[in-house]
Amino acid sequence: MTLAENLFENLRMELRRGCLTLAVLAQLRQEHYGYTLRKALASRGMEIDENTLYPLLRRLEAQGLLISEWREEDKRNKRFYRLSADGQEIFVRLLKEWNDINTAITNLL
Amino acid sequence: MELLERYLQAVKKHLPWLRQDDIIAELRVNLEAQLEDKEAELGRKLSNAEMEAWLKQLGSPLHVAARYRPQQYLIGPAVFPIYWFVLRLALGWCTVIYAIARTVDTVANGLGSDALVRAVAQLLWVLLISAAVVTLIFALLERSGAKIPDKFAQGTAMSNDWPQGAMSLCDVRLDGRKKPKTYAQAVVEVIVGWIALMWFLLVPHYPFLLMGPGAIYLKMAPYQLAPIWWTFYWCVVLLNAVELAWRMADLLRDRWQGPHHAQRLVKLAFGFVPLLVVLAVPGRMLFLLKDPADAAAHHAALDQMNLWTYRGFEVIAAITLLQLVWMVGRISLEAYRRRLATQ
Repeated sequence: MTLAENLFENLRMELRRGCLTLAVLAQLRQEHYGYTLRKALASRGMEIDENTLYPLLRRLEAQGLLISEWREEDKRNKRFYRLSADGQEIFVRLLKEWNDINTAITNLL
Repeated sequence: MELLERYLQAVKKHLPWLRQDDIIAELRVNLEAQLEDKEAELGRKLSNAEMEAWLKQLGSPLHVAARYRPQQYLIGPAVFPIYWFVLRLALGWCTVIYAIARTVDTVANGLGSDALVRAVAQLLWVLLISAAVVTLIFALLERSGAKIPDKFAQGTAMSNDWPQGAMSLCDVRLDGRKKPKTYAQAVVEVIVGWIALMWFLLVPHYPFLLMGPGAIYLKMAPYQLAPIWWTFYWCVVLLNAVELAWRMADLLRDRWQGPHHAQRLVKLAFGFVPLLVVLAVPGRMLFLLKDPADAAAHHAALDQMNLWTYRGFEVIAAITLLQLVWMVGRISLEAYRRRLATQ
């Protein structure tokens, strides 16, 4: 990887980092367990590798933005996540922020 | 499946003990579901080689487990600027204190052939240990800060809010130099310089001006100052007179804002002269007996007085030399920065 590619990759990761949280919160307005959430995000163009997504779910839950429960589905115990009340509120505010940024960038271009 | 299980057990070893079973159970469900999808796509089970390749793609167990740890850094971006400031301050002061301590030690115990090498080697250890201690303290602050962020920000000045009156911190010139002197300050300095010079000239006639009641003891003591002190005294008087003349000339030429680098350097370099005069005295004889017949009674005390006064001057000379080196270094660095800025 050249220096320029490396720099681009770092900047891209930095840009994506905040968006991932927003994408996960958006998707978890419906209940999902880890793997189906990953597939749902990927099917909408937001690919996230498992090493990022699964720990992120735990962090968001620890921050009170998600709630989870173990439940049996297809003869397997799975941990299902969904947005908490606090998460819903934060999501709305983040979404507004995202839209403002998007508008500002569009105006700049 | 056996490979996946072994992989999960390897991840488990690196997870936080309290949560490892829960995390592994969730990871297992997710990875098994992913594996089933892969096998459904292929219409067959994955071979061992394919399974290995997939697990390799997931990442090393250590790397995977590390993502579940709450904190991945010792010192975060909020604390780092203060940590960096304190670290530089601590290392700077450690170097200065160490240099002074070594100088005093060398003066007191003599200079061995490998003393310099040992001193530098030990300095590296001192700096390393200081850096480690500062880093440890800040790492602990960071950890406690992560648990109580609000209190932490208020209590440790990590907050971006400035306290009242903090704008005085910005009371520096934009070009990085100190605030210039006012005209009144420069005039007061000249007046004080004259008074000090007069006072200094009167000291030989009225020793109590320097020593207070101790002057009586000097009169009664069996010791007297060696003639070298007169040379030292006139060197100091001359230096003060030259400095005063320089200040007055600056005042008349409208250059009273502050001494220039060259002036400071010359002043410090010439400050060595009186010290060298004293250090060059033969046999360290800074004090003599008033009556040589008293030698038997006072010889030992006289030797001690001469030795420790002489060593005191050696320490002062070492500190002055360090100041000179420091100033030359700073001036060179500033010149280099200015040259870079103009390029």
